[in-house]
Amino acid sequence: MDTTMTKPQYDDGVVKYLTVLAVVFLVLGTAMGTMAASQLAWPALNFDIAEITFARLRVMHTNTVIFAFGGMTLMATAFYTVQRTNGLKLYSNGLAWTTAILFTIGLLLGVISLSMGMTQGKEYHELIWPLDIAVALVWVMFTFNFVMTIANRNKQTHSHVYVSNWFFLGMMIMITYLYVVNGLAIPVSMFESYSIFSGVQDAMIQWWWGHNAVGFFLTAGFLAIMYYFVPKQAQRPVYSYRLSVIHFWALMFGYVWLGAHHLQYTALPDWTGSLGAAISLAMIIPSWGGALNGMLTLSGAWDRLRTDYILRFLVMALAFYAMATFEGPVMSAKTVNALSHYTDWTIGHVHSGALGWVAMVSIGAIYHMVMKLWNTEMYSMKLINFHFWLATIGTVLYIVAMWVSGIMQGLMWRAYDEYGMLAYTFAESVSAMHPYYVMRTIGGVLFTSGAVVMLYNIVMTLRMAKARQTSAVTAQA
Amino acid sequence: MSDKQHYFSTDWAAMTGHDWAGLIVTVLIFFGMAIAFWWALKPSRRKELEEQKYKVLDDD
Repeated sequence: MDTTMTKPQYDDGVVKYLTVLAVVFLVLGTAMGTMAASQLAWPALNFDIAEITFARLRVMHTNTVIFAFGGMTLMATAFYTVQRTNGLKLYSNGLAWTTAILFTIGLLLGVISLSMGMTQGKEYHELIWPLDIAVALVWVMFTFNFVMTIANRNKQTHSHVYVSNWFFLGMMIMITYLYVVNGLAIPVSMFESYSIFSGVQDAMIQWWWGHNAVGFFLTAGFLAIMYYFVPKQAQRPVYSYRLSVIHFWALMFGYVWLGAHHLQYTALPDWTGSLGAAISLAMIIPSWGGALNGMLTLSGAWDRLRTDYILRFLVMALAFYAMATFEGPVMSAKTVNALSHYTDWTIGHVHSGALGWVAMVSIGAIYHMVMKLWNTEMYSMKLINFHFWLATIGTVLYIVAMWVSGIMQGLMWRAYDEYGMLAYTFAESVSAMHPYYVMRTIGGVLFTSGAVVMLYNIVMTLRMAKARQTSAVTAQA
Repeated sequence: MSDKQHYFSTDWAAMTGHDWAGLIVTVLIFFGMAIAFWWALKPSRRKELEEQKYKVLDDD
């Protein structure tokens, strides 16, 4: 039987572009983060250059890793998986390319404008209003193409829409809604605007967006990646499909309630923080259900972790996902929050999710896609193993440094002497942080080095694939 | 009124239109989730749902 007739040809050009660029942005974004971390340990490293001072560099780092690396990975994996799970090409390859190119231009302009100090001043929503609108439009184009691809599938051969698509759709719909509402503003000049919200409402809307950027962009989207790539790499079906359905609906219902836990002990009504904390604690159940669903997919095949380095990335990501989704709810409880809030513990928590979960699951998926897209083996599997250890040790160093630093910070800030005076000045607490800031920088250097190794390995793989293709053509001629 | 009763008490007369809209949407979504859970966990649906997980293994 001629199988080439039954296998559809996919639109993989745009996926290849997004995949390679995601790795480039991973290197750039983690390098910026490491530089920012170094500046906290050694402030002279800002060299008195306004464009790279911590205040600007930190925002450039978050935008590059979240929206450039994370966004490109999500677009690449969404376009890759929607075609394969629904058995057809993209609704519009042209629209996908337009989306990818505009997204790249928007991100570059975003990072440049941030380096020039142009910002709306809203965390994770800093881009000035013209770029803000442009990014929203590009996101809608991406969503439209994805939805139409699913809508155009052959309903007889593909009656059911695989669960990874549900998570992608949930992310796309909710991020559009959250991003647009939080970005509502009145422009007063070409580059400046004022939010339509003010005071406590502004804070509430901001963290309703802020936490859901984590919940829907950095969690739901990457769970979509997990539900497709873990079974594919393990070559085993996901442990329980029904659990994945429960996981999806619980996540969609629960996440939107959590934002207020970022605003404990502020001007917000007390009950909103309590509600945010209560739902956060309840969210441990679906989050761990999802993590277990991914891990138990390996039941009976755990030995593969010895030899499959890509699978190691995916499973380690699930371990960090389980850890971060336990730590977060604990930190949202008022008693713990009184100690942890405004300290480095929060930064450590964010990075256990960002480096351990988001980056590692993305890295696993990207290695998997590179081999499939270019129909080749990797240039070096040993380098993938090396990358795995650099990333894991780097992440652990980073988060342990921030745990110790953060808890010490919190304890120093709340310590009183026998006369009821503060036991430590703020400057003393900053000075005490120095060894941990150095340790965090070392963690960042290791993680960034891993990203550089990955880029090198992928570039060499593509060159190897191209050389093989050229020699095959020559041999045929 | 005990502390607990005080904490959970609601002044229904003070509810604004926004409050009612939020309450109704929340309750409806909660029941929607409960229905989704019932649908997914129904024993008769087990085979139909679980067989979906095999399809992804040979899609490319």
